[in-house]
Amino acid sequence: MQILKVENISKIYGSSKRDKEYMALKNISFEVIQGEFIGVMGASGSGKTTLLNILGSIDKPTTGKIIMEGKDIAKYSKNQLSTHRMKNIGFIFQDYNLLETMTLKENIILPLALHGTKINDIENRLSVLVKDLGILNVLDKYPYEVSGGEQQRAAACRALITQPKIILADEPTGNLDSKSGKDLLHLLTYINDEYNATILMVTHDVFAASYCKKIMFIRDGEIYNELHAGNDKKQFFDSIIDVMSVLGGEER
Amino acid sequence: MNLLDLALRNIKNNIKKHIMFFFSMTFSVFTVYTFLALVQNQQVNDAFIYDGRYRAVLLAFGVIIMVFVMFFLISSNNSFIKARKREISTYSLFGMSHGRIGKLIFLETLLVGLTSLATGIGVGIFFSKLTTMILLSVTVISFSGDVALDIDLKAIYLTAIMFISVFSMMGLSGLWVINRFQLVDLFKAEKRSEGKGKGSYILLIISLILIGWGYYLASSNNPYNLVMMAIPILVLVISGTYIFFWGGLPKVLSILKRNKRKYYRGVNLIAITSFSHRMRSISSVMATIAVLSAVATTAIATGFTLYSNIENNGYDTIGYDLFFYAGEDDGILQEVEEIFSRHDVEITQQAQVPLYRTYPKLEAIEIEGVTFYNEEYYFRVYSQTAYNELVNMSKSKIAPLEIASGKAVWFIRADVPRVMEIMKEQTLDFTDLNIEVSDVLVNTFLHFGSIYSLVLNDEDFSHLLLENQIVKEDKVGRGAGEVNVFNFNNALQNAELNSDLNKVLYQNAGGYRTAYSHYSEARETFGLISFIGFFMSGVFILMTASLLYFKQIMAAEEERHHYKTLRKIGMDYITEKRAITRRLLPVFAIPLLIGILHSIFAMKTADTMVFSHLMPMGNSYRKVLFFSSMMYGAYGFVYSIFYFITKGQYRKIIR
Repeated sequence: MQILKVENISKIYGSSKRDKEYMALKNISFEVIQGEFIGVMGASGSGKTTLLNILGSIDKPTTGKIIMEGKDIAKYSKNQLSTHRMKNIGFIFQDYNLLETMTLKENIILPLALHGTKINDIENRLSVLVKDLGILNVLDKYPYEVSGGEQQRAAACRALITQPKIILADEPTGNLDSKSGKDLLHLLTYINDEYNATILMVTHDVFAASYCKKIMFIRDGEIYNELHAGNDKKQFFDSIIDVMSVLGGEER
Repeated sequence: MNLLDLALRNIKNNIKKHIMFFFSMTFSVFTVYTFLALVQNQQVNDAFIYDGRYRAVLLAFGVIIMVFVMFFLISSNNSFIKARKREISTYSLFGMSHGRIGKLIFLETLLVGLTSLATGIGVGIFFSKLTTMILLSVTVISFSGDVALDIDLKAIYLTAIMFISVFSMMGLSGLWVINRFQLVDLFKAEKRSEGKGKGSYILLIISLILIGWGYYLASSNNPYNLVMMAIPILVLVISGTYIFFWGGLPKVLSILKRNKRKYYRGVNLIAITSFSHRMRSISSVMATIAVLSAVATTAIATGFTLYSNIENNGYDTIGYDLFFYAGEDDGILQEVEEIFSRHDVEITQQAQVPLYRTYPKLEAIEIEGVTFYNEEYYFRVYSQTAYNELVNMSKSKIAPLEIASGKAVWFIRADVPRVMEIMKEQTLDFTDLNIEVSDVLVNTFLHFGSIYSLVLNDEDFSHLLLENQIVKEDKVGRGAGEVNVFNFNNALQNAELNSDLNKVLYQNAGGYRTAYSHYSEARETFGLISFIGFFMSGVFILMTASLLYFKQIMAAEEERHHYKTLRKIGMDYITEKRAITRRLLPVFAIPLLIGILHSIFAMKTADTMVFSHLMPMGNSYRKVLFFSSMMYGAYGFVYSIFYFITKGQYRKIIR
């Protein structure tokens, strides 16, 4: 099932009058199918974060369409966008961005609370998720009282609890040591497999990207290449490195 | 770029926050300068009867204001510096030493401070004529409205020295705050809890018991108990308030959290968690505001009520425009009448009533070691007719009496319920007559030299007079003679007449009072209190409101990343607005509401102690409540302005 269809989106920064404009994205088109785990890679300044922001409806494309459930999100008003973000999109951020003033539980249910979901509903969805991700015992603790792994899982719960159509992850392993990074990637894979969640992850870490099922490479605002994971993980890893060395990305 | 340029640039970039400092400092400089200049002002000193007391009161309140201003400026400044943590850490990152950063911040404070010092003194000088005129017209009766412009160098000099030392202290404590910053904090978002008070049931219950107990004691109707209990009441309510804000309010929040239906609405969730997270850093400020606003409002409302009632009070206390008695020579009356005709003042009412005394037998009255009656006391005694004549002529609200044969009404000077209960049960034992006390009433002016007075039925009176039980002279043969009472035109305006009367009566009369003197003393006292109260409350409102402002700005800086996250997970603009409102409103509203609640009870106490007892007046509680609601109206107004400014700034910061 098709979740998202991007048609010819471009993003231009700056004003055209002064000739200072800068084209961050150029006519990008692609589709996302239910259950995909897509990595977006590219060098710094290639436009991958811009793409993620546009998909997450935090930013608007200059031209082009983003179609979800048959509607063009680029045409939504500000408030429609907020509702759309709440219902359809889950975010996992670099620092998890759990609010330190709230317990893990409050953090997780926040999107539902903002949406005005009924308490029974909230509690039901919460209990299934936290049992599965193993943070039931630390729910009433504050983020700084629990381990990094538990924070990660809480952030994942927050992204999952609204049962979003797509989960967007922005450099999720960027700030982590290799062990925690690996844990997070396992977690994402688990979510992808068990919940059939669709994940789009921006990264420039080759190791992280090797967990994806498909990788889109972006260069100078355009899709440069696509790679699909085969059965051989080592081979997939090597081919990512090959592409990246051409693109000028970095490697761990 | 040297430090001065950098400081100027910083002020320009942070102009809104500095303006907040500027206003609250300017107003406090203005107030302190005005007080000091008024203390020095010769014209004002000459106008006051008790000029020593006047200077002392004004100076004392000036010192209180100064201490208050110092405390609030230093904590505002510290919050301001914390709000600029990011900026300051950046300087540090680029290799500026803490000392130099401290110097930079100090320079900024000094620049803003000196500007407001100059402005405040300038405004003070500009308005000095007006403030002097206001002070004189509320305190001095015969104020002509002409005041010389007076620039007082000593006041300028003192104000400058005091404020510059306050600025230096601000600089030092700012340096201390900066020294505690860790450079790492720049790279870490505020992850640690600043100390969310968890609160406890025990503290909540203790605080409610303390406050409730204080309220219970305060609503007692017995003024003597209240005088004894004043300090315990204050201790109970103040400690209860602080405990409530430290341990009780966090518990209330956690109880609110249990109502999941409400709590799990996005807006409430955001507002309650971040408010309870800030609890510890702001609870003391909120408690202080609640206590101080209650104290200030009660004091000022009481002062205003007294001031607005001086004229009525005066006549309830002394009865007539003039009375005198026990003259050494008989020529006084003539002399007094001459003075009136010399001043061309018409006497509207005049009476001469002989003063009698009596020594009935009754048991000694003693309560807890204090003697209220024994054989050394005597009564001033009136027949019903003489009493009613005196009362009808008086300008007080006291009603005439009708007394049955064998009964008497006992008058005392002040309302002492416990003593009055006992007096009511007494029988006055005259040699051939027993007279029952039928009532005990309060009157302040009919005693003319004695402690107690009696009013008897006309027949009983003439019988006892015949029997020599009622006499004119005391045991050594000295009599009080007659009392002469007068009412005349423009009694409260004519200063020259009053001073002439004083001259004659001071030397010759055994006892005398003029309404004018009484009135002018009362005006001087209560007018001064009201004048000071007005300035104090102005400084107080501005200082507390701006401290809350700076505390919230600091919080906004630290909560900024919350809103970034929240927007990403789908919080829309309207929800954000509502969340901020719910986040900030309690900070301003809770202390104010608790202050109002406190002062409703405090006002009741003031009413019992002052108005029902010392200076009885009708509808006093309502009047005090009216003045205090005006005060709270003003508080509410200023606070809501600050609330909206804070909200605007908060929203700008988190954008």
